[in-house]
Amino acid sequence: MNPVFVRAAALACALGPDLAAAVQRVSGTPATPARVSAAGASWPYFSIPVVADGWMQRAETIARAVGDDLRSRAALSSRDWAALPCIVGSSSHSVGAWDGGDLEALPLPLDFSRSLAAWFGARGPVMAVNTACTSGLSALDIAANLVAGGAFGDVLVLGAEFANRVTLAGFAGLELLSRTAARPCDRDRDGLVLGEALGAVLVSAAPGPWRVAALASEIDAASVTGPPPGGEAAEATMRGALGIAGWRGGAVDLVKLQAGGGPMADLAEARALRRVFAAPPQVVSLKGAIGHTLGASGPAELALLLGCLARGRVPETWGFETPDEEVGIAPAGGDARDVRRVLFNLSGFGGNVMSLALERTG
Amino acid sequence: MHLLAPTTLRIAHAEFPERVRARFAAELRRAGSFAQLGMLGAQSCLDAAGGAGSLGVVWSSPLGALRAFRAAFDDDLRHDAPVMPFTFIAMQPHLAAALLAQRHPVSRSAHLHLAADAWPWLLRVAQGWLATCDRVLVGCVEETGDDALEHRSDWCLVQNAAAAGSVRAEPAHDTAAATSATTADWIGRIRDWRADVRAPLELAGGGDAWRFSAPD
Repeated sequence: MNPVFVRAAALACALGPDLAAAVQRVSGTPATPARVSAAGASWPYFSIPVVADGWMQRAETIARAVGDDLRSRAALSSRDWAALPCIVGSSSHSVGAWDGGDLEALPLPLDFSRSLAAWFGARGPVMAVNTACTSGLSALDIAANLVAGGAFGDVLVLGAEFANRVTLAGFAGLELLSRTAARPCDRDRDGLVLGEALGAVLVSAAPGPWRVAALASEIDAASVTGPPPGGEAAEATMRGALGIAGWRGGAVDLVKLQAGGGPMADLAEARALRRVFAAPPQVVSLKGAIGHTLGASGPAELALLLGCLARGRVPETWGFETPDEEVGIAPAGGDARDVRRVLFNLSGFGGNVMSLALERTG
Repeated sequence: MHLLAPTTLRIAHAEFPERVRARFAAELRRAGSFAQLGMLGAQSCLDAAGGAGSLGVVWSSPLGALRAFRAAFDDDLRHDAPVMPFTFIAMQPHLAAALLAQRHPVSRSAHLHLAADAWPWLLRVAQGWLATCDRVLVGCVEETGDDALEHRSDWCLVQNAAAAGSVRAEPAHDTAAATSATTADWIGRIRDWRADVRAPLELAGGGDAWRFSAPD
């Protein structure tokens, strides 16, 4: 099996329309998300600060900008870039194009993924992956397997989640949303705040700044909408990633949490973390800054995290102010120069729980 | 890699509820029809394959949970009401994976949308997953939106070890020499060929090709 690297990453999210803007913004004062209406109520929502005429035109504008950014970071030849296969993870695809419109005119998921790939300038084969909130990380998992097996040398992975009413209404129906703010791991957390993002990661057999040491996965069958309070699947997934990577717990410098402010979900992940690590390493959550971006959250949070680490900082966890004794972990930012091994947790509907182990190469 | 139990279900829309009840009793009554269709085929394949071990599930469909999607739009969103659980976004494929995980040790699952001839991606993904899963279920499912047409749920199981009734599956070197197959018919072609495996079967799609042959 070939080693697999993250060669480059880019992002558009509520913090900014490109990675540099997002990395700069997350080191500043926490911002309050805008509010949107859905299901007869008003909800905070992290929107990408891009305006365009029409939903599809806006998606194209965002995608072209992120594509240009990634291309400038990737240092691939024009020929290799054009030949890139593209795997798109999304839970909602282009459903926002329907908002107030015609369902029959809605592009099929694969067709929208092809459009995204084309806006990036990638003309290779396209696949759409849908595993709800872990869609983007599942796409990265599939890409890593294809690169490791030698099927491709480079694969473009996109996590795409654009604003739409159906997702907000669905989460409202499940009573998983906060009406005020995302407060990961905080004593006063009361639910998720959703957001939109387009994350892009170039997965490669050629050496890059981070090596994919492991990607472990579990399906938690206890409930399709949230983990059991013990966090057993999260524990098994983290242990699985450590085992595949050949790391002992003490070798991990930083854990990027799934935590988004859900009362039970954050608690379950924290309990799992405290069982896996005798002394929990530094932890961070990014959902207080960009929201839970669902199918985009894998590539989007990965791009933001690696962008911050490249600038030498672990970002503060926006929304975390008051520690919760029961949770027992306190996210904190700080100097990242010694952060070499990272566990990146993600979970979602259907019991998908994943943990990605990354090792800095330089 | 070895492939076993190629299973193809074709179910008339009118017969579908009874088929689900007959196989799962009331267990799946609250699951949506797309999840039920996937479960019916996947469980039939596992029944035929036998065996045990950790399981990955990779499956594709052209449209996904079409009926549930339409229900979410027509019944809820038009009235600005909360969308009911299991009818919005991607719930149905994950519900199927979770339901399957309640019966079998599923550790990896992904639902894909592929080009009509890109079925070899499924085998490529499964091949990679066999590094961490003992077996991988591979499925191609289509829930028809037309009551006059049949639902389709095609599945096979792949694993590294040969087993009774399995055939060897490996990437083919010569794509041009292989017979074109589609995501809708490749599992059925293997099932039909398996009745007489004297000559290997080579199937192509999406610029890739796979060779199926009798085990050593």
